[in-house]
Amino acid sequence: MARTRTTYDAFNAIAEPKRRALIETLAIQELSVNEIVKIMRWNQPMVSKHLGVLKQVGLVSERKDGRYRVYKVNAAELKPIHDWVAQFDQLWVNRLDHLEDYLDKIQRGEG
Amino acid sequence: MSSDNKIAVKPSILDREFNAPRSLVFDTWTQVEHLNNWMFPQKGFSCEYVSADIRSGGSSLHKMMTPNGHEMWLLTKYEEVSPPERLVFRQYMSNDAGDILPNPQMPTWPKEIRATITLTETGDKTHLHFVWEPIDPTEEEAATFKAALAERGNGWSAGLEQLTIYLESLGHL
Repeated sequence: MARTRTTYDAFNAIAEPKRRALIETLAIQELSVNEIVKIMRWNQPMVSKHLGVLKQVGLVSERKDGRYRVYKVNAAELKPIHDWVAQFDQLWVNRLDHLEDYLDKIQRGEG
Repeated sequence: MSSDNKIAVKPSILDREFNAPRSLVFDTWTQVEHLNNWMFPQKGFSCEYVSADIRSGGSSLHKMMTPNGHEMWLLTKYEEVSPPERLVFRQYMSNDAGDILPNPQMPTWPKEIRATITLTETGDKTHLHFVWEPIDPTEEEAATFKAALAERGNGWSAGLEQLTIYLESLGHL
Protein backbone atom coordinates (compact mmCIF):
# COMPACT_ATOMS: atom_id res chain seq x y z
CA MET A 1 0.00 0.00 0.00
CA ALA A 2 1.38 3.38 -0.98
CA ARG A 3 2.05 5.64 1.94
CA THR A 4 1.89 9.39 1.87
CA ARG A 5 5.37 10.82 1.79
CA THR A 6 5.91 13.84 3.94
CA THR A 7 9.58 14.23 3.14
CA TYR A 8 11.54 13.65 -0.03
CA ASP A 9 14.91 12.11 -0.56
CA ALA A 10 16.95 12.60 -3.69
CA PHE A 11 15.63 9.36 -5.14
CA ASN A 12 11.96 10.26 -5.18
CA ALA A 13 12.85 13.83 -6.05
CA ILE A 14 14.31 12.72 -9.37
CA ALA A 15 11.93 9.78 -9.88
CA GLU A 16 9.32 12.26 -11.14
CA PRO A 17 9.84 12.85 -14.89
CA LYS A 18 8.86 16.54 -14.67
CA ARG A 19 11.53 17.16 -12.08
CA ARG A 20 14.14 15.42 -14.23
CA ALA A 21 13.13 17.74 -17.07
CA LEU A 22 13.46 20.71 -14.73
CA ILE A 23 16.95 19.58 -13.67
CA GLU A 24 17.99 19.31 -17.32
CA THR A 25 16.71 22.83 -18.00
CA LEU A 26 18.41 24.33 -14.96
CA ALA A 27 21.59 22.46 -15.78
CA ILE A 28 22.17 24.72 -18.75
CA GLN A 29 21.33 28.06 -17.18
CA GLU A 30 20.29 29.87 -14.05
CA LEU A 31 16.62 30.85 -14.28
CA SER A 32 13.91 32.71 -12.37
CA VAL A 33 10.49 31.17 -11.75
CA ASN A 34 8.97 33.32 -14.51
CA GLU A 35 11.58 32.23 -17.01
CA ILE A 36 11.00 28.57 -16.10
CA VAL A 37 7.24 29.08 -16.59
CA LYS A 38 7.93 30.39 -20.11
CA ILE A 39 10.45 27.74 -21.12
CA MET A 40 8.69 24.70 -19.65
CA ARG A 41 5.16 25.98 -20.38
CA TRP A 42 4.03 24.87 -16.95
CA ASN A 43 1.90 27.03 -14.70
CA GLN A 44 3.56 28.89 -11.90
CA PRO A 45 2.23 26.74 -9.02
CA MET A 46 3.58 23.63 -10.75
CA VAL A 47 6.99 25.20 -11.23
CA SER A 48 7.07 26.31 -7.60
CA LYS A 49 6.02 22.88 -6.36
CA HIS A 50 8.74 21.00 -8.24
CA LEU A 51 11.38 23.64 -7.46
CA GLY A 52 10.44 23.31 -3.80
CA VAL A 53 11.06 19.56 -3.80
CA LEU A 54 14.39 19.90 -5.62
CA LYS A 55 15.46 22.64 -3.20
CA GLN A 56 14.45 20.54 -0.22
CA VAL A 57 16.84 17.75 -1.21
CA GLY A 58 19.59 20.18 -2.18
CA LEU A 59 19.59 19.43 -5.91
CA VAL A 60 18.70 23.01 -6.76
CA SER A 61 19.92 26.14 -5.03
CA GLU A 62 18.60 29.69 -5.21
CA ARG A 63 20.11 33.15 -4.91
CA LYS A 64 18.77 36.68 -5.07
CA ASP A 65 19.49 38.54 -8.29
CA GLY A 66 18.06 42.04 -7.94
CA ARG A 67 14.31 41.70 -7.47
CA TYR A 68 14.22 38.06 -8.49
CA ARG A 69 15.29 34.77 -7.11
CA VAL A 70 17.17 32.64 -9.60
CA TYR A 71 17.66 28.90 -9.46
CA LYS A 72 20.41 26.59 -10.59
CA VAL A 73 21.35 22.92 -10.33
CA ASN A 74 23.72 21.95 -7.58
CA ALA A 75 26.08 19.76 -9.57
CA ALA A 76 27.99 18.51 -6.54
CA GLU A 77 24.76 17.03 -5.16
CA LEU A 78 23.91 15.40 -8.47
CA LYS A 79 27.15 13.48 -8.70
CA PRO A 80 26.41 10.89 -5.99
CA ILE A 81 23.07 10.29 -7.67
CA HIS A 82 24.79 9.75 -10.98
CA ASP A 83 27.06 7.19 -9.38
CA TRP A 84 24.10 5.55 -7.72
CA VAL A 85 22.02 5.37 -10.87
CA ALA A 86 24.98 3.62 -12.50
CA GLN A 87 24.25 0.54 -10.38
CA PHE A 88 20.50 0.73 -10.74
CA ASP A 89 18.37 -2.14 -11.96
CA GLN A 90 17.79 -0.67 -15.44
CA LEU A 91 21.52 -0.81 -15.87
CA TRP A 92 21.44 -4.59 -15.57
CA VAL A 93 19.39 -4.49 -18.75
CA ASN A 94 22.22 -2.55 -20.41
CA ARG A 95 24.86 -4.88 -19.04
CA LEU A 96 23.01 -7.89 -20.43
CA ASP A 97 22.88 -6.10 -23.80
CA HIS A 98 26.65 -5.68 -23.63
CA LEU A 99 27.04 -9.35 -22.70
CA GLU A 100 24.95 -10.39 -25.71
CA ASP A 101 27.04 -8.23 -28.06
CA TYR A 102 30.23 -9.55 -26.52
CA LEU A 103 29.18 -13.21 -26.82
CA ASP A 104 28.25 -12.65 -30.47
CA LYS A 105 31.58 -11.00 -31.11
CA ILE A 106 33.83 -13.63 -29.56
CA GLN A 107 31.89 -16.46 -31.14
CA ARG A 108 32.21 -14.92 -34.57
CA GLY A 109 35.90 -14.64 -33.85
CA GLU A 110 36.12 -18.26 -32.80
CA GLY A 111 33.90 -19.61 -35.56
CA MET B 1 16.15 -4.36 13.86
CA SER B 2 15.07 -7.98 13.36
CA SER B 3 11.43 -8.68 12.74
CA ASP B 4 9.34 -11.81 12.51
CA ASN B 5 7.22 -10.27 9.81
CA LYS B 6 9.45 -10.24 6.77
CA ILE B 7 8.46 -7.65 4.24
CA ALA B 8 7.82 -9.17 0.84
CA VAL B 9 9.18 -7.35 -2.19
CA LYS B 10 8.59 -8.28 -5.77
CA PRO B 11 12.03 -8.93 -7.26
CA SER B 12 13.26 -7.50 -10.49
CA ILE B 13 13.42 -10.34 -13.02
CA LEU B 14 15.13 -10.33 -16.40
CA ASP B 15 15.22 -13.18 -18.90
CA ARG B 16 17.58 -13.43 -21.86
CA GLU B 17 18.55 -15.99 -24.43
CA PHE B 18 22.06 -16.09 -25.84
CA ASN B 19 23.37 -17.89 -28.91
CA ALA B 20 26.22 -19.42 -26.95
CA PRO B 21 26.93 -22.59 -24.98
CA ARG B 22 26.19 -22.47 -21.27
CA SER B 23 29.78 -23.01 -20.16
CA LEU B 24 30.89 -19.94 -22.13
CA VAL B 25 28.06 -17.78 -20.77
CA PHE B 26 28.99 -18.86 -17.25
CA ASP B 27 32.64 -17.99 -17.88
CA THR B 28 31.69 -14.46 -18.95
CA TRP B 29 30.45 -13.92 -15.37
CA THR B 30 33.43 -15.43 -13.59
CA GLN B 31 36.54 -14.76 -15.65
CA VAL B 32 38.13 -11.34 -15.56
CA GLU B 33 39.24 -11.39 -19.20
CA HIS B 34 35.55 -11.69 -20.10
CA LEU B 35 34.10 -9.45 -17.38
CA ASN B 36 36.33 -6.53 -18.41
CA ASN B 37 34.58 -6.56 -21.78
CA TRP B 38 30.98 -6.18 -20.76
CA MET B 39 30.33 -5.47 -17.05
CA PHE B 40 29.77 -1.74 -17.51
CA PRO B 41 26.46 0.06 -17.28
CA GLN B 42 26.53 2.28 -20.30
CA LYS B 43 28.15 2.65 -23.70
CA GLY B 44 31.30 4.71 -23.47
CA PHE B 45 32.04 3.40 -20.00
CA SER B 46 34.69 0.79 -19.44
CA CYS B 47 35.48 -1.48 -16.56
CA GLU B 48 38.51 -3.09 -15.02
CA TYR B 49 38.70 -5.80 -12.38
CA VAL B 50 41.56 -5.14 -9.98
CA SER B 51 40.89 -8.22 -7.86
CA ALA B 52 38.81 -11.29 -8.51
CA ASP B 53 38.39 -14.22 -6.16
CA ILE B 54 35.26 -15.50 -7.83
CA ARG B 55 34.13 -18.55 -5.87
CA SER B 56 31.52 -19.24 -3.19
CA GLY B 57 32.47 -16.96 -0.29
CA GLY B 58 34.90 -14.94 -2.40
CA SER B 59 34.76 -11.37 -3.69
CA SER B 60 35.88 -9.15 -6.52
CA LEU B 61 36.58 -5.45 -6.91
CA HIS B 62 36.21 -3.56 -10.15
CA LYS B 63 36.11 0.01 -11.29
CA MET B 64 33.86 1.56 -13.88
CA MET B 65 35.20 4.51 -15.80
CA THR B 66 33.24 7.22 -17.55
CA PRO B 67 34.49 8.38 -20.97
CA ASN B 68 36.73 11.05 -19.44
CA GLY B 69 38.08 8.88 -16.69
CA HIS B 70 35.89 9.41 -13.62
CA GLU B 71 36.03 6.21 -11.57
CA MET B 72 33.36 4.40 -9.59
CA TRP B 73 34.19 1.27 -7.65
CA LEU B 74 32.02 -1.78 -7.07
CA LEU B 75 32.62 -4.59 -4.62
CA THR B 76 30.97 -7.92 -5.43
CA LYS B 77 30.55 -10.62 -2.77
CA TYR B 78 29.85 -14.09 -4.12
CA GLU B 79 27.53 -16.31 -2.11
CA GLU B 80 27.46 -19.17 -4.57
CA VAL B 81 29.46 -19.95 -7.67
CA SER B 82 28.28 -23.26 -9.13
CA PRO B 83 29.49 -23.75 -12.69
CA PRO B 84 27.99 -23.92 -15.16
CA GLU B 85 24.52 -23.05 -13.94
CA ARG B 86 24.19 -20.85 -10.88
CA LEU B 87 25.76 -17.68 -9.54
CA VAL B 88 24.59 -15.69 -6.50
CA PHE B 89 26.17 -12.39 -5.49
CA ARG B 90 25.66 -8.92 -4.03
CA GLN B 91 27.23 -5.74 -5.36
CA TYR B 92 28.05 -2.64 -3.34
CA MET B 93 29.36 0.83 -4.12
CA SER B 94 32.80 0.95 -2.57
CA ASN B 95 36.05 2.87 -2.57
CA ASP B 96 39.22 1.74 -4.32
CA ALA B 97 40.17 -0.33 -1.26
CA GLY B 98 36.92 -2.27 -1.44
CA ASP B 99 35.36 -0.64 1.65
CA ILE B 100 31.59 -0.43 1.20
CA LEU B 101 30.39 3.17 1.03
CA PRO B 102 27.19 4.39 2.66
CA ASN B 103 24.93 6.40 0.40
CA PRO B 104 23.51 9.30 2.39
CA GLN B 105 21.88 10.61 -0.79
CA MET B 106 19.68 7.54 -0.99
CA PRO B 107 18.81 6.64 2.60
CA THR B 108 15.84 4.50 1.62
CA TRP B 109 17.51 2.50 -1.16
CA PRO B 110 17.85 -1.17 -0.05
CA LYS B 111 21.26 -1.72 1.49
CA GLU B 112 21.52 -5.37 0.50
CA ILE B 113 20.34 -6.64 -2.89
CA ARG B 114 20.96 -10.22 -3.96
CA ALA B 115 21.44 -11.12 -7.62
CA THR B 116 20.81 -14.72 -8.64
CA ILE B 117 21.70 -15.93 -12.10
CA THR B 118 20.49 -19.29 -13.38
CA LEU B 119 21.59 -20.66 -16.75
CA THR B 120 19.80 -23.39 -18.66
CA GLU B 121 20.92 -24.84 -21.96
CA THR B 122 18.57 -25.66 -24.83
CA GLY B 123 20.31 -26.96 -27.92
CA ASP B 124 22.98 -24.41 -28.78
CA LYS B 125 21.27 -21.60 -26.90
CA THR B 126 21.55 -20.59 -23.26
CA HIS B 127 18.74 -19.05 -21.28
CA LEU B 128 19.72 -16.62 -18.53
CA HIS B 129 17.30 -15.94 -15.69
CA PHE B 130 18.29 -12.94 -13.58
CA VAL B 131 16.63 -12.16 -10.25
CA TRP B 132 17.48 -9.01 -8.27
CA GLU B 133 15.87 -8.70 -4.84
CA PRO B 134 16.41 -6.73 -1.65
CA ILE B 135 17.35 -8.81 1.39
CA ASP B 136 15.23 -8.21 4.51
CA PRO B 137 14.31 -4.67 3.44
CA THR B 138 12.70 -2.17 5.77
CA GLU B 139 9.26 -0.95 4.78
CA GLU B 140 10.78 2.20 3.31
CA GLU B 141 13.42 0.29 1.35
CA ALA B 142 10.72 -2.00 -0.05
CA ALA B 143 8.65 1.00 -1.14
CA THR B 144 11.65 2.65 -2.80
CA PHE B 145 12.59 -0.54 -4.63
CA LYS B 146 9.00 -0.96 -5.82
CA ALA B 147 8.88 2.63 -7.05
CA ALA B 148 12.18 2.12 -8.85
CA LEU B 149 10.88 -0.99 -10.64
CA ALA B 150 7.79 0.91 -11.74
CA GLU B 151 10.16 3.43 -13.32
CA ARG B 152 12.05 0.83 -15.32
CA GLY B 153 12.12 1.61 -19.00
CA ASN B 154 10.87 5.05 -18.18
CA GLY B 155 13.97 7.09 -18.75
CA TRP B 156 16.31 5.97 -16.01
CA SER B 157 18.86 4.64 -18.41
CA ALA B 158 18.64 7.67 -20.67
CA GLY B 159 18.73 9.78 -17.53
CA LEU B 160 22.11 8.42 -16.62
CA GLU B 161 23.47 9.24 -20.02
CA GLN B 162 22.27 12.82 -19.74
CA LEU B 163 23.59 13.15 -16.22
CA THR B 164 26.98 11.87 -17.34
CA ILE B 165 27.16 14.32 -20.21
CA TYR B 166 26.07 17.17 -18.01
CA LEU B 167 28.42 16.44 -15.13
CA GLU B 168 31.32 15.94 -17.49
CA SER B 169 30.59 19.26 -19.14
CA LEU B 170 30.94 20.87 -15.73
CA GLY B 171 34.13 19.04 -14.98
CA HIS B 172 32.50 17.21 -12.08
CA LEU B 173 33.25 13.72 -13.30
